[in-house]
Amino acid sequence: MASALRSAVLRHIRVPVAETLTLNGSKWSLISNVRSMSSHGDDHITKEEIIHRVLDVVKSFPKVDPSKVAPDVHFQKDLGLDSLDNVEIVMALEEEFKLEIPDKEADKIDSCSLAIEYIHNHPMAS
Amino acid sequence: MGASTGAKLSGMQKQVLGLYRGFLRAARTKSPEERRQIESIVSAEFRRNSKLVDRKNFIYIEYLLRRGKKQLDQLSSPATVGLSYLNVDYPQTRKS
Repeated sequence: MASALRSAVLRHIRVPVAETLTLNGSKWSLISNVRSMSSHGDDHITKEEIIHRVLDVVKSFPKVDPSKVAPDVHFQKDLGLDSLDNVEIVMALEEEFKLEIPDKEADKIDSCSLAIEYIHNHPMAS
Repeated sequence: MGASTGAKLSGMQKQVLGLYRGFLRAARTKSPEERRQIESIVSAEFRRNSKLVDRKNFIYIEYLLRRGKKQLDQLSSPATVGLSYLNVDYPQTRKS
């Protein structure tokens, strides 16, 4: 009885996957959907991947000489940035890893190593 | 005086950086073109003041912080789509 009901119900349910995708349109929304799903759950990103992506974000910062960027560099002492640049880099990292870093924590992140450490310990980083 | 380049931040510096962060966050909620526009205006304004304003001119910095917070409140409203900038010079207010 229950199984008959179940199959009857299932036969009438249509999940409009294709529709939502075309409605959403752009590739961008598709990509972000996939990303947010992968962030959910057990496959936490590896430290190597975090290091790689943090360094990429820092290297792509316009004022930074990419050849100077290494996992242990200090944004201001080693890369010649100022505190406003520091804010911009931390904001860029927030976007890269889909995080929101509270002001108190963000003020402390002044080097690649601290950024890597913070993101590595963050359960929602993706 | 220039933006800080290390060492420990004072309470006032933290407030300024917090305000800057607030503007960048508000910019994220706007359309991509507006966002770029807002970011460039805001960044230019903070950098300009970081060079022009004497770091010991606390009263003036307090004033700028208050003014900035009000502007940020307006920008944060969903009704505000963008930011435009009027270049007015106030030579009097610069000096302490």
